[in-house]
This record gives sequence, structure tokens and C-alpha cells, in this order.
Amino acid sequence: MKKVLTFALAAAMTLSLAACGAPSAGKPYKIGLLQYGQHASLDNCREGFLQGLEDAGLVEGTDYTVDYQNAGFDNAMDTQIAGKFSSEDVDMMVGVATPSAVACYTAAEEKNIPVIYVAVSDPAAAGLDSGNITGTSDALPVDAQLQLIRAMQPDAKTIGILYTTSEPNSVSTIAEYQEKAGSYGFTIDAVGVTTPAEVPQGADTLISHKVDCFSNLTDNNVVGVLPSILEKTSEAGIPVYGSEIEQVKIGCAASAGIDYVQLGKQTGAMAAKVIRGEATCDQIPFETIDSYSTYINSDVLDAMGISVPSDIAANAVEASAAA
Amino acid sequence: MLDLLVSTLIQGLIYALVSFGVYITYSILDFPDLSVDGSFPLGAAVTAVLLTRGCNPYLTLLAAILVGALAGLCTGVIHVKLHVRDLLSGIITMTALFSINLQIAGSNLTVGRSVDTIFTAGPTMALFGGLSLTNRKLVVALIIAVAVKLLLDAFFATKAGLLLRAVGDNAFLVTSLAKDKGNVKLAGLVISNALVALGGALVCHETRSFSATMGTGQVVFGLATVIIGVALFRRFSFVKGTTAVVVGSILYKLCIAVALDLGLPPNMMKLITAVLFLLVLVASGRKGEEIIHA
Repeated sequence: MKKVLTFALAAAMTLSLAACGAPSAGKPYKIGLLQYGQHASLDNCREGFLQGLEDAGLVEGTDYTVDYQNAGFDNAMDTQIAGKFSSEDVDMMVGVATPSAVACYTAAEEKNIPVIYVAVSDPAAAGLDSGNITGTSDALPVDAQLQLIRAMQPDAKTIGILYTTSEPNSVSTIAEYQEKAGSYGFTIDAVGVTTPAEVPQGADTLISHKVDCFSNLTDNNVVGVLPSILEKTSEAGIPVYGSEIEQVKIGCAASAGIDYVQLGKQTGAMAAKVIRGEATCDQIPFETIDSYSTYINSDVLDAMGISVPSDIAANAVEASAAA
Repeated sequence: MLDLLVSTLIQGLIYALVSFGVYITYSILDFPDLSVDGSFPLGAAVTAVLLTRGCNPYLTLLAAILVGALAGLCTGVIHVKLHVRDLLSGIITMTALFSINLQIAGSNLTVGRSVDTIFTAGPTMALFGGLSLTNRKLVVALIIAVAVKLLLDAFFATKAGLLLRAVGDNAFLVTSLAKDKGNVKLAGLVISNALVALGGALVCHETRSFSATMGTGQVVFGLATVIIGVALFRRFSFVKGTTAVVVGSILYKLCIAVALDLGLPPNMMKLITAVLFLLVLVASGRKGEEIIHA
């Protein structure tokens, strides 16, 4: 009896797949949006992207529909969701963060579905710079960050950085830091970890090395457990410089960084062109963000006894928890 | 909608290689081998590097099998020769492989569209060029899964294969036959990890990418598929274990596809998948409480 039930269940699952298929004739533009996982930066990318579409005058429901999925930082899930988008004949795939962008691009190959990505640090290295694909890069403004740290801490010598050895974005950013640090009078102390669980130990290592400050990248593993780093550093009296506004909000001292909502909006504007048929993805080169902003968290800076130079304070955006 | 079924089938057939590997260690040898989480991305890492260097795509499969066999040998030696507990020897190999995989690949890698994979290379095109890419992937994945299944079935019927099964069922029998059960275990681990690495290689061909974290959860996947598959066909003794685990793998991917398609909030995905598994297991009357030998 139960055997029968099992097969009935399998059959029902198969049928439910068939039942969920929607005909696409005369329908609004179908967007499959695949986000690698959930943390504040990636959420901002997605929200910014949807905002960008609205800003371009497109209306959700009549002009386009969005099927939003996230892969929970699981690559096999990334593949399966992208495959589902392709089999549903979406009109466009949007990948947020590099692994999802790669998964979308691979799944889009056969039907040549246009792919738009948000927040891929190095599109060329990921092989996403040619073909029916475009998007925005979130390469960090390393020079601006080093300048900012120098202005805030004129006597600092060593910058500690935590990163995940398997994230190509982090590895290439570390290389850039090491190349440029010398010209601002810094040395870089980089500690690589492999999992989020190792991050607190990495932070302890850097603190014991007596670094003058931390600089934080957009490394997914590290950002995920950033609060635990900030707890340790604030106890040790070491300021942490973030790479985007959300990190400053939760307790980094300052950042010359990216506003991911802005990055998402910029990407949404590119996607709108493709949706309207004004251009195809291969005609639009990938973009980096137009402008970087300086964010400061006065509460943290005051607690650390760091005074903000007036020229920086004049242009900086306050991002303390209260603001 | 047929499309979605096809893409689910492709995933199920490709990942069936992992299920075969776990079936050999867990179900036949009674050896909980965790090295799978490392040997799976190992196969993908070697494949990604070779593909980007212009190596023949078919040869990458062979290379993956070889490095996977080495990984299995490593676990086997640690367990059999150094007398480390089975679970721990797998954990040691898996942990070491994380670094080794990164050392091999440099970092996460993508294989560009201009590079031929086993799904797009000349000989495949000559045979199945008339099919769409998706259908070609299905046919190639099917051929590989069926070929491996038949090879395994044939192997299990040989003297060596029977010894392998005996070690899991009744180790004393093996000793009384004047055979060294340690060496048999070693052989099983080698074969198992070679298959898992081949699975990793196929995933690399299919997704055109390698990521250091892609191995996370593969053991769990393998165990789930073996238990689902074997439980499902428990009363159908004519269905071989190898067939059962392929079905298990496809069912697992189907559960995910259904959960995805229900259109629930993305954060609920895993919960829905878990509920579907439970339904399948309860319905088959087997809750996965027993290790089932072949």
C-alpha cells in the first residue's frame, strides 16, 4: 500500500511541475532574478535593481514580472535555479554576485537568454565580459580607502585584512592593496580563512599582530560575521574601515565605498534598456560604479578618539546606527 | 514544462555519480566516508584547470577519476594502515583537500563559452549534433550514468566485487578466506572516490565552473539519495542497488525542483525540500534507520 503511495507521490510531484508552467504569449517581460544568498549588501543590490527598473518608468506586473530566488550560498542550488529559469523561458536572467552570475550565464547559453549581473568584482576574470551579458562591477576603490585611512590615522603603519582564500574577488583585491599600500606608507597584514567559523580566530590573530586598523572587503564569508569581528576590535580599540555603507552602519569607523543600492539602480537602468529593446546586452559594456562616497560613523570614531579632518567631514555621509 | 523535467533529470543523472560513490562506502562497505566533500570539488578543480588550459575534454574525466582514486587511497591508508577511525580519516582527507583544491585551481574558476566541454566537443557533436544543447546534456549524462551503473554491476559479480560486499556484511568471512579485509576496504574507497570525483568533473563540465565550496553537503546528498533509493525499492529485489540510487538522486533533485516551483519564499526552500524527503521516506515505510546492504 505504502509503495503505491510512494509512486503516487512521485507522480504527483511530476505533475505539479507540469501544472506550474505558465504560457508566455502576450505576457509581460519575465525576469528571473537569482541572488547568491542573503546579506545586507546583496539585498541592497536586488532592491536597487528593482528600483532602477521603476525609475526607468517600467511598471511591475504590466511591463515585467520578477521571479526572485536565492541560492542560500549553495552552488548546486545556483545551477538548479538557473536551469529552472531557462526551462521556463524567462526573457532575462539577473545574477546577483559572481557565482549566481556564472550560473545564469551557463544556463542561458542554449537559448541565448540575455543575462544582467550585479556586483561582480572582476567580470573579465569570471569570463563574463563578452556575449549576451552585461552588468555592473563592484570593484572596490582601494586608492580612496587607503587615502581615507591615512587621513584618519596619520601615524598608522599596518592595516590588517581578513579574507576568504577561495573568493577570487577578495584575492585580487588583496593583491591590489599590497601593490598600492606602499605609496601611502602602509604595510598590509592579510590573514586568509576558509570558512565563516574561522573568521573570529583570524581577527584574534590580527589583533595579536598589533595592526593599527582593519580594512574590510566585500568578502561574503567575512561580511556575514562582521559583528563578531567588530566586538573584538572595539574591545582592543582598533578601528575597522568598511567597504560599503551597511558595514559602517553596524559599527565600522568609516568607509570609502560603494552604495550597493546605487549600484543596483545603475544596473536596473541598463536592464531597462534591454527590456525596451533599445539595446542588447552585448552592445552595452559592463560598468563600474560612477561615484564613490565616504561614510563615517561618528559614534565609533568618537569612541576610538579619532577626529575626522574637516575636508573629509564636509563630504562624508553620516552612517551611525542612530542616523 | 518538459524542459524543467529534462533539466531536473540532467542534474539527477550527473549527481548520481556521487550517489554511486556513497553507495559503495556507506551501503556496501559500511564505511561512513566523509572524504566525498573533498573529492567532489577535487574532480571539478582538476577538470576546470585542464579545460582552461586546452586539454581534451574527455581526458579531463580520466584525470578526475585518477585524482579521485588518489584521494580515496589517502583516506584508506589513513584508516587501514595508520589505524585512524573511519569517520576521522575521511574528515582528515576532506579538510586537506580543501587547501589542495584551491592550490590546484588557484581560486574559483570559470570555463568560458569558447572552451569545448564533453557536451559540445567534436565527437559528441558528431553523434548528437542534431540535438539541442539541453537534450545533448541529457543524452551524455544518461550514457555516463548507465555505463557506470553497468560497469559497477559487472564488477560486483566478480570475485573482487563479492569480496567487497563481504567485507561490509561479514568481515570474518573475508578473513577466513585468507584475504586481507584492509586491502578490500582500500579498494572500495579508491573506487568510491574516483566515482565521486568523476561526478565533480561532470558538474564542472555542465556548470562551466569550479568553486571551492561546491563540495559542502555532498556527503549528505549522497546519503539521502542512497537511503531514498534503496528504501523505495526494498521489496523489489530484482532492482539492483545501483539502479535504486540513480532513482534516489533524480527524486532528490525533483524534490528541490518542486520546492522551487511552488513559488514559496526563497528562504523556505530547504524546509520544503526536507518535508518532501520525509514524505517520500514515510511513504516507502523505511525511515532510513537501517543500513541496507546490497
